[in-house]
Amino acid sequence: MSQELIQAITEMREEDALKITQQMLDAGKDPLEVLEACRQAMEVIGKRFEAGDCFIPELILAGEMLRQVSDLIKPRLQKEATQKKHGKVVIGTVEGDIHDIAKDIVAFMLDVNGFEVTDLGVDVPPAKFVEATKETGAKVVALSGFLTLAYDPMKATVEALKAAGLNDVKVMIGGGQIDEQIRQFTGADGWGRDAMAAVKMANAWYGVN
Amino acid sequence: MDTTKSQFEVDVGKTPEQLLIERQQRVSDAIQLKQPDRIPLMMGMGYKLAEMGGITKQELYENPQKAQELLEKAALRYKPDLIFGHWHTPKPSIAVGDRMTKWPGYGLAPNGSFQFNEQEFMKAEDYDEFLEDPADWAIRVYTPRAFQNCQGLALLPPLGMWAFGYYNILLNYQLLTLPPVVSAFEALYKAAQYQSEWLNQALESAKRLAALGFPPFTMLSILVEAPFDFMSDTLRGMRGIFLDMMRIPEKLLAAEEKVKRFQLKYAISTSKATGIPFVFIPLHRGSDGFMSLEQFERFYWPQLKDMMLQLIEAGITPWVYYEGVWDQRLKYLAELPKGKSIGSFQDSNIFKVKEVVGQTMCIIGGMPLTYLKPGRSPSEVRELTHRLCEEVGKGGGFVMANNVMELEGCDENLIQVWTDATREFGVYSA
Repeated sequence: MSQELIQAITEMREEDALKITQQMLDAGKDPLEVLEACRQAMEVIGKRFEAGDCFIPELILAGEMLRQVSDLIKPRLQKEATQKKHGKVVIGTVEGDIHDIAKDIVAFMLDVNGFEVTDLGVDVPPAKFVEATKETGAKVVALSGFLTLAYDPMKATVEALKAAGLNDVKVMIGGGQIDEQIRQFTGADGWGRDAMAAVKMANAWYGVN
Repeated sequence: MDTTKSQFEVDVGKTPEQLLIERQQRVSDAIQLKQPDRIPLMMGMGYKLAEMGGITKQELYENPQKAQELLEKAALRYKPDLIFGHWHTPKPSIAVGDRMTKWPGYGLAPNGSFQFNEQEFMKAEDYDEFLEDPADWAIRVYTPRAFQNCQGLALLPPLGMWAFGYYNILLNYQLLTLPPVVSAFEALYKAAQYQSEWLNQALESAKRLAALGFPPFTMLSILVEAPFDFMSDTLRGMRGIFLDMMRIPEKLLAAEEKVKRFQLKYAISTSKATGIPFVFIPLHRGSDGFMSLEQFERFYWPQLKDMMLQLIEAGITPWVYYEGVWDQRLKYLAELPKGKSIGSFQDSNIFKVKEVVGQTMCIIGGMPLTYLKPGRSPSEVRELTHRLCEEVGKGGGFVMANNVMELEGCDENLIQVWTDATREFGVYSA
């Protein structure tokens, strides 16, 4: 049945995915098995996205399916039985910029790829990034910004993290007008064009194979 | 092309009248895919004006006189063929309590930048009502949701009742005295007054620029969107629209057909009434990366293409801003009739654009904002400008411009290097 669920999700058959989930739960399957199937399905979708074989509509619908599946299994999920995470990531759209679409997709992809994501939302001042990074102990911070005005706040955030002594924290930046020049300008450790680039960087920085 | 002498000195001694005629001709030739005397240069100054004047962005909106002085200063310094400043004014939006825009000083810090705050003002379950009567839904359901100060419009009776003549007076006119309805109409009237005030300022600004030899910039005046973007930007939001694509494709397609029809009616009648022959179409969700080509062929391109063809049929030139990257989609653009539309390109490979659609449409763009940021070298900027003039400018049909219509945060000297180099390398030999 796990295989059927994986197939339903990757083929974007929303109703079937929910039906199969319900059947699995009714048959007394471990909720973690359902979650594992979801993870495998997202891995397939992530690879397709990276290869240009599927796009944002599919990512969004997959996210919707996952949300509904987890709503179904939540009541049966033991607290201690949650999946092991690779590491923590603090993410947010930098100060002065209120765009959330791209940031949300990156946060979602990091989450389904095994990271514990702290999403600070939009228009986040450098001090808030510092505070959240200290609090969570995250070793990776992801800064999003759609506007060209995001360059300076990105730079300010990188500097604030350094000034707070968080020198071992890696920072990635992404958004509409980001390139290698801008990465250098901001002092970030990496930049990327899409959500899978963010996952790859986080994997590399946390030493995940 | 003659690359040996600095051509920008050629204009010295010309009267503003002469310069105005020459600049208009240069732009007009390029739009018609002809080869002008040299490559025209268009500059979107944006918030650079505030930086140049040492004022906040909020002040730029609130002090139109100062904004005009700064625009004139930029025009006289960089001598482009077309120039424009920052976008619009926050006043009408504030009057109606617009929830989808944020402006410097209003929802943002005084030095914040204008932002569009996309939301799901239309729910998936609204499609049936929208399709049945878009106008009624827009006035009585959508406007109260999207504009905080217009909530009273929700109290109006179905708009079709207005066709009931005397009986509508008898049954419904008393509703117009309800306080929330009154304040909604007052908010709309106030917004209309601000909008009209802004329009007068824009006309005055155009006159003053013309007196200095710079053509009026009317290309952004009539704005419509690709039917898909219309449904996405102000109604469903990106998340909503992509779910609709996957879950209720037929309804989305039917809605696109509706919005295409009334947008065409609007654009054609406004063009006739104002004499403005351009319609601006900024594109958002059709670029590479958002949807597959298969989805693009079903949900985006046919509707946009049909809209453009009908505008062209009506004697209008669509000026399309191809935001993002369109490298995988250029072959579709090549289907458009030759010399009948203008394409501004943001981050597409501009050399590839020239190759694929250079014979189809006038190309605007070329200079990426990132090249003009502090820290880049003048020689890099000069080299790129040279290459753009040689390759994208080849044979005409090219207007050199900054790619995002904004120069905020750019180095003034690098801007100078770019504009000078455009005049130097952009000359066509006879």
